Parts: sequence; structure tokens; C-alpha cells
Amino acid sequence: MYSEMRALLSLNDKKKTGTAVKPVTDELFLPNFCGVRMVLALMVIAQLLAFVLALGQMGSENRWKDLSLISLFIQWAALSCGAVLCLSRPWLRKLPNIQAGLLSYLLVLGVTAVMSEAAYWILQAAVMEPPLTRAWYYGFLSRNLAISAIVSAVALRYFYVQHQWKRNIESEAQARIQALQSRIRPHFLFNSLNSIASLTRSHPNEAEAAVMDLADLFRGSLREARLRVPLSEEIELCHKYLHIEKLRLGDRLQVRWELEGLPRDALLPVLTLQPLLENAIYHGLEPLAQGGEIVISGAQQQGMIHISISNPANPAAGAKTTGNRIALDNVRQRLQAFHAKRGKLIVEHSNGTHRVQISFPYLSKEP
Amino acid sequence: MNVLIADDEPLARTRLRELLTEIGGCRIVGEATTGKEALEQGVSVQPDLILMDIRMPTMDGLEAAFHLAALEQPPAIIFTTAYGDHALAAFEAHAVDYLLKPIRKERLENALHKLQQLNRAQLATLKQAGGGSPESRARTHLSVLLRGNLQLIPLESVIYFKADQKYVTVRHAAGQVLIEESLKDLEEEFSEHFFRIHRNALAAAAHISGLVKDHEGNCMLALQGIEELLEISRRHLPEVRKRLTNP
Repeated sequence: MYSEMRALLSLNDKKKTGTAVKPVTDELFLPNFCGVRMVLALMVIAQLLAFVLALGQMGSENRWKDLSLISLFIQWAALSCGAVLCLSRPWLRKLPNIQAGLLSYLLVLGVTAVMSEAAYWILQAAVMEPPLTRAWYYGFLSRNLAISAIVSAVALRYFYVQHQWKRNIESEAQARIQALQSRIRPHFLFNSLNSIASLTRSHPNEAEAAVMDLADLFRGSLREARLRVPLSEEIELCHKYLHIEKLRLGDRLQVRWELEGLPRDALLPVLTLQPLLENAIYHGLEPLAQGGEIVISGAQQQGMIHISISNPANPAAGAKTTGNRIALDNVRQRLQAFHAKRGKLIVEHSNGTHRVQISFPYLSKEP
Repeated sequence: MNVLIADDEPLARTRLRELLTEIGGCRIVGEATTGKEALEQGVSVQPDLILMDIRMPTMDGLEAAFHLAALEQPPAIIFTTAYGDHALAAFEAHAVDYLLKPIRKERLENALHKLQQLNRAQLATLKQAGGGSPESRARTHLSVLLRGNLQLIPLESVIYFKADQKYVTVRHAAGQVLIEESLKDLEEEFSEHFFRIHRNALAAAAHISGLVKDHEGNCMLALQGIEELLEISRRHLPEVRKRLTNP
């Protein structure tokens, strides 16, 4: 019975993967020359080059003959280059882009040299009258190498620029999506508004306070993600957030703060703790009928600040809560953006307790 | 009309209570805070209508509704939800009524005028579409109607499923029951915790204790909590071995 509407299900899955953001990886900038489309493109470009070269020849008696010989040679050389780049791709992609670029440049020149050599032998053996001289050979080889050097340099540069451009677009899109997703969950927003609607009748004062908290929370979430705020300010924001959650969840939500040992002026990226608390509630407490306690504790050690948030978690759900990755990744990335390797976020899951710890160096003013 | 309100948030229940009182013509016969409670009260109190939150602890609203649909006279159900995303498209597609929070009085009033009973196929589809939450596409319980009583079997207590023509036998910690679902569907839904050991049987990974050879040399599966051994077909043996060595 459950399978009746599989199609619908798979449709939804597709929608999900459609919006998922691919991680921007440092992949090889060269296009894949093993693909049919790239081979076709290569042939077209080679043919255009052949036209240019044939047109450029001064005082030629038979342009069609020239064109056919030039085309034959260039197509041959270009396709061989493509084949070599295709075959060497597995090695090239292991290298950094600069080395891969240089190496492929040398490969193309090497292939050109080999092809020129082969063309010389074939011409000598087969058709040419009078026989080709050594001087002709050197001229032929050096001209081919020069043309190949210029054309492939231009092509490699083009591929590189195009690759950079694509990467920029991807990372920009990713940043934008993350900015959106790190904002407050719609689930929380609409449930809170429902609670407030309920309170306006019976407890107007509480409703008013909740609206104010919600407003502050949203102002916080609309701030520039690059901003850093003192710990005291972030804690204040968390209190407001928890106040609203408390309205919704009642006694199911218990919170214990143990941050006495921390300097209140320590700077941290805005909205670092709040999303972690929201995760702890959404994925940890809400699925539990009896609720539980969230413990926020912190310590300062050798110039580093450690804050950990732990919550009981449904053992059946295990670690498969894929949804909380987004918020965690966002916080981790921002910590790393500020503090490089010294900014950390660690997740632990044991015996029905979920714990997230963040660490960053203690700074009280912007460097 | 007798109405049951199911929502894990006290203020959300208050709001519905107040709105229903204003609209009039309704008697609130109970309140539930989890899907399981809603189901139990749905059976014992027999309301005409359940206002059912979708995201609730222990068992979500969709699953509770699915089990209730097995009753001879299932209650009408109106779902309430805070946030839609893609799953609501499935609700629309099946003409299943839902209210978005914050709940508007007019919308609730309208919904009360066109009550409907939902069938299991509709509800199963909604659950599969991720209406509860994307992580909970599988049910947490199986349900069987026994002489008018709804018996619930938590999935963790199920030891194996065995198909026999039209029915599937569910062997669980406290006995066994027959259900009318196909083994293939069960396998798909519960693939995380159950796997196939034979053309006609699925075993719970958590209950496996080991492999035994019978006197004819066939491989049999021993399961915790029962004496009985289950036959493993040759085709599924490699997979079962793999599961046993790295669970």
C-alpha cells in the first residue's frame, strides 16, 4: 500500500537534491576531453585554425590543396592532444592547477613535435618531389611548435578563466543559500506566532513580551553574518530565544547555564550559540514526549574559549538527523573563517546525549 | 460534535479550544500531547473529529491518523501544521484538509463544515512524502484491529515478518498477529532495521543472534526471544553473513 505513490516520493526526493548545494571542490580546471561534446568542439576549433592558416598563406597556387593538407595535419594533431589529455586526466587531477596546467601545456607541445616528426617522414617517404631538405624540416617543426604554443596557451588560459568564473558563481550561490538556511527556522517562527496568537487573549502582557523577543531575535538574524559580537550580547539573544521556546514547550524545556567562568567581552561571530540551541531543541527535545534539559557550559583554557551545548536525544533517531548539518556547517565555517584552524566545532553522540562543542581564541576587541 | 485536540504545545491547544468555543457546536472530549495519545483516545473516546498536529513526539500525527483509519468508524481528521514546504503539495493533491498555524478562525470554521474521513492509502502516501518530517518516513508502530480493539505493536518489538499468501505474520515479543500488507512494501518501508532472509521473510537486524545448520545442512537464522529458527535462502545467505560480521 505504501508503494502506491512511489512516484510522488521520488519526485520529492528529486526536489530535495535539486536544491542541495554541491560543495565547491578544487577540481581540475581542464574540461574532460574524453567526452563526445569536447571531441566535437576540438574538431571544430582545429578546423577553424586550419582555415586561418590556409588563408594566411602568401602566394599559394592551390588553396584547396593547402587547406586539405593543413586540415589533415591539424585535425590529427588536435585529436591526438585531446586523446593524450583524456588519458592523462587521472594523473593531472591529482596535481594542483598550476602544475596540471604546465604539464598539459608541455604534453600538447610534445604531441605537436611527435606529430610533426611523423608528418615529415610520411611526406618524405610518399609524395614530395623534390625531396624535402633538412632546412625545410627545421622550419616546419619550429613553425608548428610556435603555433601550437600560442594556440594552446590561449586555450588553457580560456579554460582556466572559465573554471574560475564557474567556481565563483557556485560559491556565491552556496553562501547565499547558507545565509538563508542559517536564519531562524520557519517551523519555529510559525509555531511561535501561533503561541502569541493564543496568548493575546488570555495573557496580553506575555504576548507583548514575546513579540518584543521575537523582534529582537529577527533583528539579530538579519545582521551581517560577518559581524562579531561580545559573548554577553549573544547570551542575551539566546535568552530571548529560549523565552519564546519556553512558551511553546512549557516544562518540557529545561535549561541550565554554566558560563560563569567565561569573560563576557569575548568576541564571537553573531548567531553562533542560538542556532546550536535551536538544533538542540528541534532535533533533541521536541521529539521527546517528556522533554529534557539543555546544558550550556563553558571554560577558558590557555587563551581559548570552549562552550558546549548538550541535550538528551532520542536513541532511536540515532545520528541520522541530516537536517541539523546545515546549521552546524554554517557555524563551523564562520568560526573557521574568523580563526582559521583555531576555530572548531565538534559533535559527539553517546548514550542518548548529543553534545556540540565550539572552541575559539579569546579576543576582546577586533584585531 | 465531539472533538479531540492533539498537539504537543499547550498554547496551541489553548488556541484551538478557544476558537472552537467561539465557533460553537463543538464539545471538546479530550486533549492529547503525542500521536500515540491521540490514537489511544481516538479509540477509547471515539470523537467525531480530531484536530491533529503533524509534528508530535513519540508518533507523528500522520501515523496516528493512519492507524485510526483502520477503525470501523474512523474519526474525521483535520491536520494542523506550522510550516508546509513540499509535503503540503501532497496534501493538496489528495484533498486532505490541513490548517496552517497560526490558525485562522475562518479557516477552522470552513474546515469544520466539510469534514472527511481519510483512508489509509491517502495517509500512507502523505507519510511517505515526508509530511511528518523527512527523517521519519517509516511508521513507529504497526496496528491491527482485533474485535474492535486497536492493537499497537512497537516496531522495535517485531522479530520477523513472514509472508503467507495474502497475509503477513508479524512475530513480536508478545505474540504474533496477521496484517494485510505486502512483504515488499514492508521491506521498503523498514529497510533500515529489517532485511530479507528468504523470499517470504524479513528479519529484524536488532534481534539476530546467529547462524545455525540444521540436520540437512540448510542455513537457519536464530533470533533472540524465540525458539523457532528461520530458513535462510541460498540467494540471501551472502547478504545475511555480511550483516552478521559487520552489523
